[in-house]
Amino acid sequence: MEWKKPQNRMTTSLSFTGYVLKNLRRRRLRTLLTLFGIGMAVGAFVGLVGFSTSFEQQWMRIYSSTNTDFSVIQGSFLNTTLDETAAARIRALPMVAQVSPTIFNLMDVTPEINALVYGWQANAFEFNSLKILQGRRVSNGQPEVMLGDLLAQDLKKSPGDSIELQGTEFRVTAIYHAASTLEAAAIVMPLDQLQQLSGMDGKVSTIDVRLRPAPAGEAEGAYFRSAQAAIQAAVPGARAVPAVERARSNQFVALAKTSAWGTSALALLIGILGIANTMAMSVFERTREIGILRALGWRQWKVLAHIELEAALLGLGGGVLGIGLGWCALCILAVLPQTASFFVATLQWPVLVKALTIALLAGLIAGAIPAWRAGKLSPVDALRCD
Amino acid sequence: MSSPILEVRELCKSYEEGRIEALRGVDLSIEAGEFVAISGHSGSGKSTLLHLLGGLDSPSSGNILFRGVPLGSSFDLDTYRCDHVGFVFQAFYLLPTLRAVENVQAPMLASRSGSGDRRNRAESLLREMGMGHRMDQHPSKLSAGERQRVAIARALANEPEILLADEPTGNLDSKNSAHIMEILTGIQRSRGMTLIVVTHEDEIAQAAPRHIRVHDGRVAS
Repeated sequence: MEWKKPQNRMTTSLSFTGYVLKNLRRRRLRTLLTLFGIGMAVGAFVGLVGFSTSFEQQWMRIYSSTNTDFSVIQGSFLNTTLDETAAARIRALPMVAQVSPTIFNLMDVTPEINALVYGWQANAFEFNSLKILQGRRVSNGQPEVMLGDLLAQDLKKSPGDSIELQGTEFRVTAIYHAASTLEAAAIVMPLDQLQQLSGMDGKVSTIDVRLRPAPAGEAEGAYFRSAQAAIQAAVPGARAVPAVERARSNQFVALAKTSAWGTSALALLIGILGIANTMAMSVFERTREIGILRALGWRQWKVLAHIELEAALLGLGGGVLGIGLGWCALCILAVLPQTASFFVATLQWPVLVKALTIALLAGLIAGAIPAWRAGKLSPVDALRCD
Repeated sequence: MSSPILEVRELCKSYEEGRIEALRGVDLSIEAGEFVAISGHSGSGKSTLLHLLGGLDSPSSGNILFRGVPLGSSFDLDTYRCDHVGFVFQAFYLLPTLRAVENVQAPMLASRSGSGDRRNRAESLLREMGMGHRMDQHPSKLSAGERQRVAIARALANEPEILLADEPTGNLDSKNSAHIMEILTGIQRSRGMTLIVVTHEDEIAQAAPRHIRVHDGRVAS
């Protein structure tokens, strides 16, 4: 009796989604290139928005770690100057527990490395949020600095060494660790020293304020608002900005966010055009196939849904790929000397959800016109197409 | 006496803003379960008539009534094609990315059948066409005769009442042509379906109990 090799039966049920996936697999190179295109766009979004979000969080940490309630400023975030004497007027207010006049500046430490420099009084409450790893706190009136551990590592400095800032030599008294990388990569020096260095004698950038706890029976919100009004009345022309608001809306963060969204929008536009081109080509090449489907009884909306699903899957696939690419970009930024000092690579759920939603919408938008065109095709005209 | 499944009244179809008249006032009545051959020279309008009867296109004027209901105005053409009509084409028109069994399932994606039903029905139809051993093959691996048998199985997928075949043997050799016509007439007899075949081959046209000749867009006999 003749032996027959058993047939490998693969018969499966055809599903709507399965058919869409088969069409995507059929043009592998084009599908891969399109996925890569939208992936690059979403990757840019994840990288840039992730970067700006991380940047914002580092600012938030500065204020939360010091329990600062208000920052009193006059002017804008980057261009604020107050008389140092205003600190005494604010301190005299009954609801104010502590005030700390401060200056911050961005300075070149070496030709490659620049750092934020904070000027604080020796008894400033901000010092409490720093953990001194080696050495001691700076003293008022002395040309001394404390270095954040990230910056000290980059500069290879330790207590007893000296660094030069704008032609003036400063002795390193301590290495500290801070919750925010913006502080961990910064320099802290006595307020009077930074005033001299910046040509701001008698002036400060901001006055950080801590409030006393709200009296029993008084609502936190109302207490907060009355304190804000009292501070602004004590220093006419100044604004008492809640710390959270200052972290979120400061010009550094706003600039980073605007750049991130602007660049991402351009990249996404290119990604959308890529999918639109792929889908338009796909519909054009499959005109007869669409005619066959219509002849087989597929309704207009089903053909439209078929093309839209294909575009949406391309968008989603590109979104997943883009998250991977964005994560790689963030990891690279986190180790680059130019950015490592104030940036930690983290992926946050809101950014991921936004990235996938944008990718999906990009697919749907890009597929809309080709899908509409496919749905409108007359079956008989489509069948006649070569 | 059986009632007409299709009635055609004063059917006209023109193209290019009326400059080309493909059909010029065709009147026709086809009974349920009839086997009708439509023949005519190239350009006579026979394929246009078939496309209109199958709801693939809309007439310029006149009416087609399916069981007394006008197509297009009172009866959506998509629903008509999905639920009541099956097509067999000269060029087979199988979907290249799908295996034979998946091609047969494609029309069922337009209806409300479940996935298990779709697969079982597709397998059963392919076995009926003698294609049980080839159902996992893609169209490119099938011969012309096998492709047409898959196309016939696909046309039967949604259990239509009317089977429309446009030159179904046009791309086949004589042996396969005879086989395909045997299958089509066998289906018509066993299922009591209405079979309308457009052909330019006299042998096939003469084999049908009813033969309609189309000439210059009009029914000649």
